[in-house]
Amino acid sequence: MTIKRWCLFLVVLLIHITILSGCWSKNELTDLAFVIAVGLDKTEDGKYVETFQVVNPGNVAGATQRGGGSGGIPVTLYTATGDNLVEASRKGSKKISRLVYYAHTNLVVIGEELAKEGIMDVFDAIERNPQFRTTATVVVARKQTAEELLSVLTPIDKIPASQIIKTLQMTEKIWGENLDVHAGEIIEALSLTGKEVVMSSFRLEGNKNTGKQQKNVQSIEPYAKLHADELAVFKKGKLIGWISGEDARGVLWVLNKIRQTALSVDWEQKKEAVVYKVMRAKTKVIAQMNKGTPVISVFIEAEGDVGETLVPFDLTNPTQIAKLEEKIEKEIQKEVQKAIQRVQQEKSDIFGFGEVIHRSYPDEWKQMKKTWNERYFPRLQVKVKVDAFVRRTGLRNKSYLK
Amino acid sequence: MLFQWKVSKRKNTINEQSGQAQTVPSGEIDNRLDANIETIRRTTGNSTDVVIRRFMLGKEKNIQAAIIFLSGIVDESMIYQFLLESVVQIDFPSSCLPNEALLYVEQKIAAAGKMRRMKQWNHLFLSLMSGETLLFVDGVSEALSIDTKGGEHRAIEEPSTQLAIRGPREGFTESLGTNIAMIRRRIKNPNLWVEAITIGEVTQTNVSLMYIKGIANDEIVEEVRTRLRRIHIDAILESGYIEQLIEDQTFTTFPTIYHTERPDIVAANLLEGRIAILVEGTPFVLVAPAVFIQFFQAVEDYYARFDIATALRLLRVLIFFLSLIAPALYIALTTFHQEMIPTQLVIAIAAQRESVPFPAFVEALMMEVTFEILREAGVRLPRAIGQAVSIVGALVIGQAAVEAGIVSSTMVIIVSITAIASFATPSFAIAISARLIRFLLMFLATLFGLYGIMIGVIFMTLHLCSLRSFGVPYMSPLAPLIPTNIGDTLFRFPIWALKERPRLINETNMIRQGKQQRPMPPNESKKEGDDH
Repeated sequence: MTIKRWCLFLVVLLIHITILSGCWSKNELTDLAFVIAVGLDKTEDGKYVETFQVVNPGNVAGATQRGGGSGGIPVTLYTATGDNLVEASRKGSKKISRLVYYAHTNLVVIGEELAKEGIMDVFDAIERNPQFRTTATVVVARKQTAEELLSVLTPIDKIPASQIIKTLQMTEKIWGENLDVHAGEIIEALSLTGKEVVMSSFRLEGNKNTGKQQKNVQSIEPYAKLHADELAVFKKGKLIGWISGEDARGVLWVLNKIRQTALSVDWEQKKEAVVYKVMRAKTKVIAQMNKGTPVISVFIEAEGDVGETLVPFDLTNPTQIAKLEEKIEKEIQKEVQKAIQRVQQEKSDIFGFGEVIHRSYPDEWKQMKKTWNERYFPRLQVKVKVDAFVRRTGLRNKSYLK
Repeated sequence: MLFQWKVSKRKNTINEQSGQAQTVPSGEIDNRLDANIETIRRTTGNSTDVVIRRFMLGKEKNIQAAIIFLSGIVDESMIYQFLLESVVQIDFPSSCLPNEALLYVEQKIAAAGKMRRMKQWNHLFLSLMSGETLLFVDGVSEALSIDTKGGEHRAIEEPSTQLAIRGPREGFTESLGTNIAMIRRRIKNPNLWVEAITIGEVTQTNVSLMYIKGIANDEIVEEVRTRLRRIHIDAILESGYIEQLIEDQTFTTFPTIYHTERPDIVAANLLEGRIAILVEGTPFVLVAPAVFIQFFQAVEDYYARFDIATALRLLRVLIFFLSLIAPALYIALTTFHQEMIPTQLVIAIAAQRESVPFPAFVEALMMEVTFEILREAGVRLPRAIGQAVSIVGALVIGQAAVEAGIVSSTMVIIVSITAIASFATPSFAIAISARLIRFLLMFLATLFGLYGIMIGVIFMTLHLCSLRSFGVPYMSPLAPLIPTNIGDTLFRFPIWALKERPRLINETNMIRQGKQQRPMPPNESKKEGDDH
């Protein structure tokens, strides 16, 4: 009997322990400030400025049927200053009524000035914080501060951060001049010697003051618009240059990031006469040693359709198609070679060729490692081989053009 | 444990008190008719439904006799036509002693199937109360009990609890005889044995034990028999009484005895070696031993083709888990693991929660309790009003509460899904246990989030594995794993692949069907047949 009583007593005690220890990490949804984007800048006296784009759940589309109401703005911007990011983040609580919650932060914007000064220190806090996702997209604010880039209202995706991320993803997928780079990839590149950081930039153009207001989304043509800009090339964590246009696409070819794009080739004296839509592409990078000097071979496989012809072109003729494929191969090869030369001028191995050599020839790499970007990379011999294939010709074999 | 201890201390006194408030006269009957009639009158308290009809027997009509029966539970036309009429009209041998008259009635006149001579009062009263007619003859210290059971019964109808789109439409009734007959009609085999036991000191309820000799495990049959014999209680009004008195584990929300209203289910279970317990006065028949997965097997699983049956079976297991953890998951995700919800969704949920003044747990609890109230009201009310209640309930829960900002519409969706899921479980017994555990899991989720849910589910699994039903592990054939029986658990293999009866329930007569039952074109089946 007494034993049973003791057991009962213990059970009651244990139940109390569980209740007492519970709930410590509990947060109701209404106590959280969902930070959707973080902007990072530096003041002139070397302090960090952290910009929070906080979601205003009641005003986001889908929730507006009820209560949300007229004129509500889906996001609110707060800034805080501190000697380091954690300090800035904690100081933000002076302005934000809820717990700053980073688990849904999908975008990190780095101001151009901070990027030039160096982003080495920034990512430790991001990687260390368990809430923060390393899958967050990182972009550089071109010719402006991160705060400026984030203070705009966007029409289609109501949350500006979503607008930036989705634009970037979509343009990478179907055009291929911009890169959607995650924080994790940047941290990886920062820690490796044979690879440097490259990321896209974004720019806000137009009337910035009106851009901050509801007026911006009520106009058929927004007063201020966001758009993806050039690729930012970093070296040792510092922004050193910009790559744009076809060169940028060439970089993506080498990085195996091209999914779809479109390029045009000349045909029978007519410039840019046939347009080739790449639908699938794959790139392989292989390192070899040739008498002690490394040689990189880039193999590109592209598959796609004919998208447009501006000359009469007989697509039923296999020899014509073979000729077209050859021209496409040359075009891609030219573009990639040009891009590689352009990057070699910057003396920053954003392709990660160094890492390819590191994996294939670890012993030789040890000697090249220290002076890789200065001595070896700018003079590196890169062979580009392209294999293009025309899969379909669209709904038309013979053009109506005569 | 504590309860058992308390009971054991008082066991002796209880046992003596059990039984009847006033005892039936013991001993044998008198040879005087008047004295006997007086005894019956006194014992039944002059109840109005006790019919006593006196008449004279013999050639000279000089022997006093009486028949006694309870109106309502006897077939009165049979008594009047075949017994009373012939007894009064027929010619007796000239000089006839009372004793011979009784014999003469027994052998020549009464046209009934079953007749017994009785002396003991307690036997006589039992016969009288179960619808037999007693014949007393003056001067004889023995009475004749004639089986005239009958009276009004509900006709065989479609069962209201376990409906099937395809399958027999008849369900059990309140009449024990009809129920036994319904099973007999399905299994035409002399090895289908029926044992009768009377349980209930006051009610004297007839209970029948049914099993197939040679398929059912004798040890389990014996165990059921002993457990039934051990019952000493005043009344058995429904098979639920017996279920609660013979189950292996009382402190569990999970049913360890299966009950059904469908004769085809009982027949199928008998053929798997299980034992059916039929109770007079209820259409619900108990089937033991029961295993966990049995409660997910709907009768149509076996009538539909296997691919469809398997898909539905898997769906039902999913439904069970959904009805178990859906609200708990909502609480855990919205209060602890906001990072696990996709961004768009978390913002949408947060927007709805903006106006809700309660924590997620209170919100969920409130809605769940409201739903349980509505359900309970709907079940108890007459059908017409029940519908009105559910309309009001749907409006109150679905719209007004959301518009008033008391609950979020996501919560309404969660509660609705949970509710529908709990109704989609084929066995009400298991759905109701899931409902109870759901509240426990909600509480754990509030304290510890997903970790709490995991702890809860692990404990539930451990508990399920520890259960036994008449010695058979409750989770078999999943734990312990019996590969040959796995075909009828989460999946339902084709009928021709279910070659063996469930092990553990039966160990001697395992094989259920011949070799090569898989249908195939004639030539091929011949070839394969030769191989075997």
